[in-house]
Amino acid sequence: MGGPKTNGIGVQVEDTKICVVMVGLPARGKSYIAQKAQRYLKWLSIPAATFNVGNYRRNDSPHPSADFFDTNNAEGERKRRAAAAAAIADMLKWFKSGGVVGILDATNSTKERRKWVLDTVTKEGVEVIFVESKCDDEELIMANIRDVKTTSPDYQGQDPEKAALDFRTRIRNYEKVYRTINADGDEDDLTYLKIMNVGKQVIINRIRDYLQSRIVYYLMNLHIRPRSVWLSRHGESMLNLEGRIGGDAGLSLRGQEYARKLPELVLESVGSDRPLTVWTSTLKRTIATARHLPAHYNQLQWKALDELDAGVCDGMTYQEIADMYPEDFQARDEDKYNYRYRGGESYRDVVIRLEPIIMELERSEDILIISHQAVIRCIYAYFMQKTQEESPWVPVPLHTLMKLTPRAYGTEVQTYKANIKAVSTWRGKGSTAKHEDPSPDGGV
Amino acid sequence: MDTLLTAEIAANAPRYRRRSSTFIDGIHDVSVDEGNMAPAQLYSTMSGRLFHSGRIAIVMVGLPARGKTHICVSMARYLQWLGVKTRIFHLGDYRRATVGEGGQVPQDYFYPNASPTSVMLRQKILKKCREDIYAWLNHENGQVAIYDAVNPTAAGRRALAKEFAKHDVQTLYLESFVDDEEILKENARNVKISSPDFHGMDPNEAAERYLARINTKIPVFETMQEEELNYVKMINAGQAFFYNNVSFNYLSHRIVFYLTNLHIKSRTTFFVRAGVATEEDSYKADAPLSEEGKSYALKMTETLLRHREQERKQLSERAGQEVPLRPLTVWTSTRLRTIQTGDPLKEKGYKVRQRSQMSQINPGVCEKLSERAIRSLYPEEVEKHELDPYHHRYPRAESYHDLAVRLEPIILELEREQNDLLIIAHESVLRVLYAYLMHCSTRDIPKLKFPRDEIIEIIPAAYQNDAKRIHIPGLDPSTVPGSPEDIRILVPGSPPGAGLPAIPGLSTPPESGAAESSAPVSITVARPPEKVVNTAKEMVADKVADED
Repeated sequence: MGGPKTNGIGVQVEDTKICVVMVGLPARGKSYIAQKAQRYLKWLSIPAATFNVGNYRRNDSPHPSADFFDTNNAEGERKRRAAAAAAIADMLKWFKSGGVVGILDATNSTKERRKWVLDTVTKEGVEVIFVESKCDDEELIMANIRDVKTTSPDYQGQDPEKAALDFRTRIRNYEKVYRTINADGDEDDLTYLKIMNVGKQVIINRIRDYLQSRIVYYLMNLHIRPRSVWLSRHGESMLNLEGRIGGDAGLSLRGQEYARKLPELVLESVGSDRPLTVWTSTLKRTIATARHLPAHYNQLQWKALDELDAGVCDGMTYQEIADMYPEDFQARDEDKYNYRYRGGESYRDVVIRLEPIIMELERSEDILIISHQAVIRCIYAYFMQKTQEESPWVPVPLHTLMKLTPRAYGTEVQTYKANIKAVSTWRGKGSTAKHEDPSPDGGV
Repeated sequence: MDTLLTAEIAANAPRYRRRSSTFIDGIHDVSVDEGNMAPAQLYSTMSGRLFHSGRIAIVMVGLPARGKTHICVSMARYLQWLGVKTRIFHLGDYRRATVGEGGQVPQDYFYPNASPTSVMLRQKILKKCREDIYAWLNHENGQVAIYDAVNPTAAGRRALAKEFAKHDVQTLYLESFVDDEEILKENARNVKISSPDFHGMDPNEAAERYLARINTKIPVFETMQEEELNYVKMINAGQAFFYNNVSFNYLSHRIVFYLTNLHIKSRTTFFVRAGVATEEDSYKADAPLSEEGKSYALKMTETLLRHREQERKQLSERAGQEVPLRPLTVWTSTRLRTIQTGDPLKEKGYKVRQRSQMSQINPGVCEKLSERAIRSLYPEEVEKHELDPYHHRYPRAESYHDLAVRLEPIILELEREQNDLLIIAHESVLRVLYAYLMHCSTRDIPKLKFPRDEIIEIIPAAYQNDAKRIHIPGLDPSTVPGSPEDIRILVPGSPPGAGLPAIPGLSTPPESGAAESSAPVSITVARPPEKVVNTAKEMVADKVADED
């Protein structure tokens, strides 16, 4: 096994860089997997990027027909190879500028192509893990073709029926040369994950480090059954009224009203009395917000859902913080994501502790989370792929229920307002106002 | 041998129900204390079962010398840590107990066309073991039963899954499949050749003989291919995995994830405290090391490196050739004092990683409060804390349980790490990580002690890990004691037990003026119990003829 390099006296130098190489015929959900993996890693602050060979190829041939993908078409073959080379070159450049996990989204369906990718990438000191999605379920493939591919830029403005037909011919052209990983037993040295028939059978081969196992575990937990996640902050708290952050206060009168209104809001959004599982933090205000929800909803408290710990600033107003710790106040505005309160937490810290929550969320179905501003921002950022610059500033108003529904290329958001007045706890950069209105396009 | 005798009596006593199939250690002997949650258990349910996963039998498949026992024990340790009520049932223990000490099973015991008496014996042994499994799952709130046996035939496995299904138990097969000769021989050498049968024989020859004997004794073995069964096939000790997922639940995925991080190479873990900081009693102020702290860091480094060099020499002597050192990796938290404690090693070129998950337990409102103040401000909390120091959290503080949950990624990386590892962290973090490796109960974790003048070394062994303590000489005695208990924060110069009777979990700052008078007198350092119940070696010797 190609273990990490050591210098013999017990000192080891290494910095893992991983290239995730997608493998599989078209319409096998490769892009879906690539997108999700990228979103997850970025959210964990692991620099990740997807390099889609199709996008590179489209620069050259925007609307190719199926025979472009015929292996006998030398011109098509040359162009596709050039596109792959360009994508890899860009990826390697990106690794040099600090990238950690690069995802190469392409079919990579022949042994020769995989070997070429492997050689090109490992030469630059990057580990390779192949992730293959192999699926023979005709129905699933057709559904995928209809949903995703007919909206593909390759078929823009074309008759969907014709497009689907052409696309199937394209797949057939790929099938002629496609070899699944290690079909002939001579690719046993590769690190790979092969997912067959949407996870019915899985092969995991030669996982070389923790980050790889983490990616594999994440991909194993993904499911594609339809579901939604509901997010709400706690009702307005006594400290919210005073414009103080953190603490463990009870609800204000209006906050209690929200708690009573919440079951109705949830029912309206769910549309039936099928039970949700409710996750709250361990703080009084979220537990109190959940107390009127129907008895057949299972409720769990998670310490991991507690509000960002403001350390020495806990219980202060922004004005007090600016007065007492002017440098800290400014430092926080400059890099809110990484700023860690003295003795407290940063947004980055919160994301790390939310990790098990995300894993649970991915494998669960309908969940209602009642938590706090910073925590909801982090979970929201996970689903909506907000950058670290954006996520700490996302307005998450009180007394509002959000429904997130993950779809193939992104997440759908619906909001339900309780129409119960509450103070605003959003704060603009540099501001010390107690209650400030978010930007005019505010709300999420 | 005591364990054997007890096992024999137990197996033959009609009304006796075993708590597990061996009587050895914390992993095998599950606590019956119902109210006691596991270290990293997130929540408890009325049924005692977690993750909505129902009851599961994990059935091992594989010939002897495939590392099944190692996998069983590691997996049980991890699941119990998560709070999943797990027990291991080694069929071999039942067989040995049934045929009696020194007894042998008939030659054709494992043959497909065995004689009726052999079949009867087999049935009897199986029945007893299964009865215990059902008792555990049906009447003792067990969630996972790990059934450790060869289970060589597809027909047998299909029948077993059906039988479990009848009892509303889901089956997950876990096969350890090895076709790499090197791994096989290594396993055989490590475990089996201490048998008298192979006494004085060349280890390689003994290993080969042993493997050949397995093949004659168990002539039929079919690797798993049953499409309708849930199974995970671990190939060549984790080099590859194949799984067939008919109805995997969260727990199954979690187990696969765990297994992908497991390896069978032997390596050690060292634990040390961070040096004394300038503001020792403050959690919020992220204070740098004091002068004593810096001197501690140097002395600790020196002691550790000397110790490693000694170990290497011993190994080299035994092997008759120079053995290279395993690389050493250092993990610290993101707190200044732990980072600075690692600095001398970093300067020598060792790789130091900062792990933000490893920061110390948060004392919340208790920070810097005097014991008296806490007593008067939070009398109810103090009472609750005394009842359950592991799970109770003071306002705005973390409990040990919170800490254990937060440390989960660290634990998996700990399993994966193939280098030797030095962990420099606050005592609260050391307690939890030590507890994982040594399987301590939640009642004991808050009380584990790690004096500063010791490096703890954990060495993995077949049934349970070993702990060793290495003394760091020449330290100022006042900096040595562990923080007395729980989240209490050390105040230099105040001997434990001085002043008011200690309240568990609270700090005892010096009374004004008292600090000087009680300065560095002789301090009796409370040594942690050498918590090693390791009869593992005997156990292994006992299992030498293990072809269950």
